[in-house]
Amino acid sequence: MKRGTNHSKDWKSTKDIKTGFTVPENYFTGIEDELLSRLIVEKLPKHDGFKTPEAYFKSLENVIIEKTKNKNGKLINFKRRNIKIISVAASIVLLLFFGSNFIYNTNTELSSEEIISWLDMNANSLSNDDIALALTELNINDINPYLAIKNEDIVESLLNSNDLDYLIEDINTK
Amino acid sequence: MIDEIALVEELQNIQTKEKAFRILIKEYKQRLYWHIRKIVISHDDADDVLQNTFIKVFKGIDNFKQDSKLYSWMYRIATNESITYINKRAREKNIDITEMKQKLVSNLQSDKWFSGNDIELILQEAVATLPEKQQLVFNMKYFDHMKYQEISEILGTTVGGLKASYFHAVKKIENHIKKNQN
Repeated sequence: MKRGTNHSKDWKSTKDIKTGFTVPENYFTGIEDELLSRLIVEKLPKHDGFKTPEAYFKSLENVIIEKTKNKNGKLINFKRRNIKIISVAASIVLLLFFGSNFIYNTNTELSSEEIISWLDMNANSLSNDDIALALTELNINDINPYLAIKNEDIVESLLNSNDLDYLIEDINTK
Repeated sequence: MIDEIALVEELQNIQTKEKAFRILIKEYKQRLYWHIRKIVISHDDADDVLQNTFIKVFKGIDNFKQDSKLYSWMYRIATNESITYINKRAREKNIDITEMKQKLVSNLQSDKWFSGNDIELILQEAVATLPEKQQLVFNMKYFDHMKYQEISEILGTTVGGLKASYFHAVKKIENHIKKNQN
């Protein structure tokens, strides 16, 4: 070994040479915690002790698949069902809103025509959250329970529904 | 190793959805089950939550935009379903979630679906005393051998934050085991 080697000088000179190596982002962040954790967990048991009934996983696929089918053994199309639920819920909200508005229209700043016009333009963008919020803000108890929804309004709503074929299929499978 | 992008496309196509869903269940059922089981403790509860998780995946797959990995998304659903399940049980008994978990773990010794020895039982008791986030991080890192980056994608916490959580968790577990081992 060379005597009198200036190690710090040698180290400094190698430090300045670019090696081209990089490390993942944040590699050094929390490295102390990580190393200390590894020392501790070496002494911990490796297994959690849990087990399952024999053949549990073998039968699982069929059990789950059955839950995704209707009575006729066809896959339930949840996307179309959700659209149906949303359009029916939206229709109910609109009818309740107009019902309450016509009965309690005293200090509203918007006229009924303005409300109808807004709903015409924005009804398709009503989200589940909008509907839920409208329903929670509306005090159902304030609505006249005897307010009748005309049959022709219901029929018109159904005829205008884009999911009429799904509704028919649903009726026929019952 | 399955091709995730191709699988998602098949899941989002009504013609191939069932076949693709079977592949999905086969591929991920065990990983998701064991993740759920460590949270809810009981096999029967884990079975319920696992089935609910897959049904939610089935229902929501058409809206899955692949802005995260499929597995990360499913893991998040499984985590949320498990926590919701435990919270519901805690509310029914009018106790908090930590007390609920400790109650579940206290039944493990007589649980026919637990075959752990004394030290493994103490380990489960220790994990049950941890705050929710530390429990999740510990289970995913220590038992599931997941990388911090994977855990970060699922829990939405930074890698540095996860390392700190894990460290605090193992320290508490170590102290609990030392106190209860004899």
